[in-house]
Amino acid sequence: MPAVQRANTWEISDSEEESDLNKPSSSSSGEKKKRRRRTREEVQEEQENRRAAREKQRQEKNKLKEEKLEEQQRRREAAVRVSLFKPENFIKSLTLQIHAALLRDAGCDVLLRTLDGLQWKNCIENQGLPNSISWTRPALQTEDEAKNGVIEEDQVLMVISHYEFEDMVMSHKTETNQPAESLLQHLYKYLTEASRKFVTVLVISHQQRSGSGDEDHFDFHLSQHHLDTEALLVHLQLYWNVSVNFLFGWQEVTDHVVAVTKAVSKRPYKALCGEPDLGFCMDGSWSAGVRVDRDGRGLAQVWTRQIQQLNRVSPALAKAVTSVYPSPSLLLQAYEQQPSEEERRRLLADLTVVGGAKERRVGPELSGRIHRLLTSQNPHLMLD
Amino acid sequence: MLDANMPTDQVCLGRKRPVPSCPNPLFLQWLTELRDSAKEKGLKTQYVYQKAINSLKKYPLPLKNGKEAKILQNFGDGICKILDERLQKHYRENGQGPQFSADGSDAPIHLAPSFQRSNMASSKQMEAPTNEPSGNLSEHMKRTQREVRKEKGTKKKREYVPQKRSGGYAVLLTLYRHAQTTGSKGFMFRNELQTEAQPLCEKSFTVPDLGSKYTAWSSVSTLIQKDLLVKTHNPARYSLTDQGLALAEKLDSEETGMAKEYVEQMSEEEDAQDGPDVVDLTLEEEEEQQEEKERCRFSKSLERPVPALSVNQARGQISESDAVGKSQTLEMGRAAMGWHLPPGSYEIVLCVDVIETTGGSSGRKQELVKELQRNCVTFDIRKLNVGDFLWVAREKVTPVPGQLRPPVGKELVLDYIIERKRMDDLCGSIIDGRFREQKFRLKRCGLRKPIYLVEECGSAAAHLSIPESTLQQAIVNTQVVDGFFVKRVQDVKESAAYLTIMTRYLQKLYHNCTLFCRSRELEGDGGDESEQTENLSCSLMAFTEFNYGAIKNKCQTVREVFARQLMQISGVSGDKAATVLEHYSTVSSLLQAYDQCSSESEKEKLLSSIKYGKLKRNLGPALSRTIYQLYCTHGPLS
Repeated sequence: MPAVQRANTWEISDSEEESDLNKPSSSSSGEKKKRRRRTREEVQEEQENRRAAREKQRQEKNKLKEEKLEEQQRRREAAVRVSLFKPENFIKSLTLQIHAALLRDAGCDVLLRTLDGLQWKNCIENQGLPNSISWTRPALQTEDEAKNGVIEEDQVLMVISHYEFEDMVMSHKTETNQPAESLLQHLYKYLTEASRKFVTVLVISHQQRSGSGDEDHFDFHLSQHHLDTEALLVHLQLYWNVSVNFLFGWQEVTDHVVAVTKAVSKRPYKALCGEPDLGFCMDGSWSAGVRVDRDGRGLAQVWTRQIQQLNRVSPALAKAVTSVYPSPSLLLQAYEQQPSEEERRRLLADLTVVGGAKERRVGPELSGRIHRLLTSQNPHLMLD
Repeated sequence: MLDANMPTDQVCLGRKRPVPSCPNPLFLQWLTELRDSAKEKGLKTQYVYQKAINSLKKYPLPLKNGKEAKILQNFGDGICKILDERLQKHYRENGQGPQFSADGSDAPIHLAPSFQRSNMASSKQMEAPTNEPSGNLSEHMKRTQREVRKEKGTKKKREYVPQKRSGGYAVLLTLYRHAQTTGSKGFMFRNELQTEAQPLCEKSFTVPDLGSKYTAWSSVSTLIQKDLLVKTHNPARYSLTDQGLALAEKLDSEETGMAKEYVEQMSEEEDAQDGPDVVDLTLEEEEEQQEEKERCRFSKSLERPVPALSVNQARGQISESDAVGKSQTLEMGRAAMGWHLPPGSYEIVLCVDVIETTGGSSGRKQELVKELQRNCVTFDIRKLNVGDFLWVAREKVTPVPGQLRPPVGKELVLDYIIERKRMDDLCGSIIDGRFREQKFRLKRCGLRKPIYLVEECGSAAAHLSIPESTLQQAIVNTQVVDGFFVKRVQDVKESAAYLTIMTRYLQKLYHNCTLFCRSRELEGDGGDESEQTENLSCSLMAFTEFNYGAIKNKCQTVREVFARQLMQISGVSGDKAATVLEHYSTVSSLLQAYDQCSSESEKEKLLSSIKYGKLKRNLGPALSRTIYQLYCTHGPLS
């Protein structure tokens, strides 16, 4: 009977497989059952496997989708964070701290009105360096939180009158110890306690500061007074890193305050997304690129400009090379056709230059440099 | 430039009598051959030979041998040796002495007209002897032949081996020994190498001899060309190639071997033939003038007592430094770098850039110098590679009796560097982009207190090409964003007053300070925050290191130029170029990557997903395609 025959086969196969799959059975009737169960089980198994596989696939797909969404989300968030750094946004987070003493001068109105017009936050404070204008802002995520999460910018302005400045000059010259309430002493005290600040003293006068040119044409080309002033200025620079600016009227002071505010607002973005240090300055007339369209038109000019990037290569010199080899590929093919390294190096040496200022041919030195540039495996190899 | 292919016979050049043809035709012919063969190979020695040819042509008297030729300009030891060897060969082939001369005259053979040998076409008189032989000559000739060095045998292939104690020798040996020390970084920086190699070299690496601009350092380019040395990175790093290593090893073992014996003093005429036969063509003829140089000045500048590298050492004599051994050399080198200036031993000197004193249509620049002179400021005009004014602490040196020039004092540069800008200059430099580039260079020069001196602040801004507010913003940005100190003055007089008072102040400030030499290449820029608040820094860079490091068109690396090349495509900014470089740091590696792609489409997309910038954006398919088109278009570009 076929079943019996099959039974033999099944028996054999049964012993090969582990018994955990099949319930142990001994009777032949059990074998029949086993067969069916196994077949069903097998089928079930297959179905299970297929289902599991499909499930797994689905899960993986979902996972990828999720990841992609997460990625997009992250990018969006990062973009938002970065846009906070952009000067036009960052400037809104700054608050100008104006010392109350400045309000005594009616001219200060100009400053306040301008700030309001620009919608920049400002507030009057009674503490800190007298006559000062400084900047505060909330701490960024990247900065340590200190003082309630408020950061003070390092630039500080100190607005004083011409007379107050003259007092400073005299006291410095005569080296008299000024009373502690004097502005100079306040300044020194302030800087001693907060050494990372850069103070610029704005000396406001209501008459144009006369140039030294019209005074004294005699032995003292500059008046003694001028020299005394300079002595204080140099002292402030070398000992305290304090810079002094002489301005005429509150409008100029306001302009300066606005300029410093704009400059301060540029720093975070520059620090975050600044240009990488590749060893050379990114700006310059050389860095303007050539527009290239979809079909590659414009690349010939790019190729010529590329040769000019080497030191001491004029446009005429570059043209001499690229007119004979109008693409990098053609030049490299030509290199390959040369029988020796020496000849590859010298390939371009005798090309004539048209219209060059002093060069008549490309020369072996430049030819060698170009060859080295295009074939070297060492990125740090010196060309010169 | 004399065209050596011009026939030298019957040249009139507008004279009534023909210019006498060359009295040393054989030498001329051989030099011409040497020059031509060097030219074919693209070697720079072709110029060396050409210079010798030019000198020889001008010389009207016959020369007996190569050694005699040394008196001529551009004839150094190397060339003279070659000529003598050729002469020997010539004698062997053609016999010596007058009885064998080609034209039967009494003239020494090498002086005989050899037109028939040369390929100069000439129709006019050929038989006129180039010089009248005199009886004396033949006697001299005989004597000379006795004096002439024994032949060393013709050498078919000359291996380049530098002469002992030459620049090339010292550099190779120093690099080798440095590489043997534990924890060696495998390369040396320029200053480091110069300092440590100096004890092994006769000639100075830093101070050119009188009348020349070359120092022993110029042999380095020869070593690079000969593939013994390789120069990479910016700032430059020097390391040995495999060949260089082998050669240096040989040199080193010879030297330590010799140190064990004591070689007796050899006469000037015989060169020490210790190593294999060498021709060191890197020797400049100026080296012949060594006897006149005062070398003590260099040994004085080394802090440790070093046996004076006296010029009177004949080449064969071993200096004490050799005998003592390797480690001593290295140690001495390092001691030479870590020097200091105690208080009172130096003075603070204002340095004014040459360009600040010349040119200018209104002559205003000279006014500055005159003012400084009137104010009795200690200043020095020199070429500064960056900045317009700075200060150095210069070692006080006393002139040495019997010498015209006092020895060169060491100089350390103070941290203050001034860039002076008149308002119209400022406008111009903003417009043409120099402004940013100048600031970039000032930031990187190693001096920590840059100052922008802005002149003519009160002048009417109406006639300037940029609106006043823009200019003011640029100046404020320089202070706030770039961190420079901004000093505003009205005119040149005020600038001069400022410089005067600054100089006096700095002299006062540094009055009692000990100054230490800091090597930027070895130690980096270091101490940032803490040093900024310090008023006075006493750890300063050597002026020479500073000025060299600030050279404008510095040597370029492959990587740097590749980046600049990529930026020639509109849309490729600095950070995009930087990311391409991260994946493919050289042109050849990018090309290789393209080659490995299996389809054009793959090549086109190769760069589209690389990320750039802080935001990690994709470079994009468009730029990827453009770059692919640039490098993979087989035919011409449009």
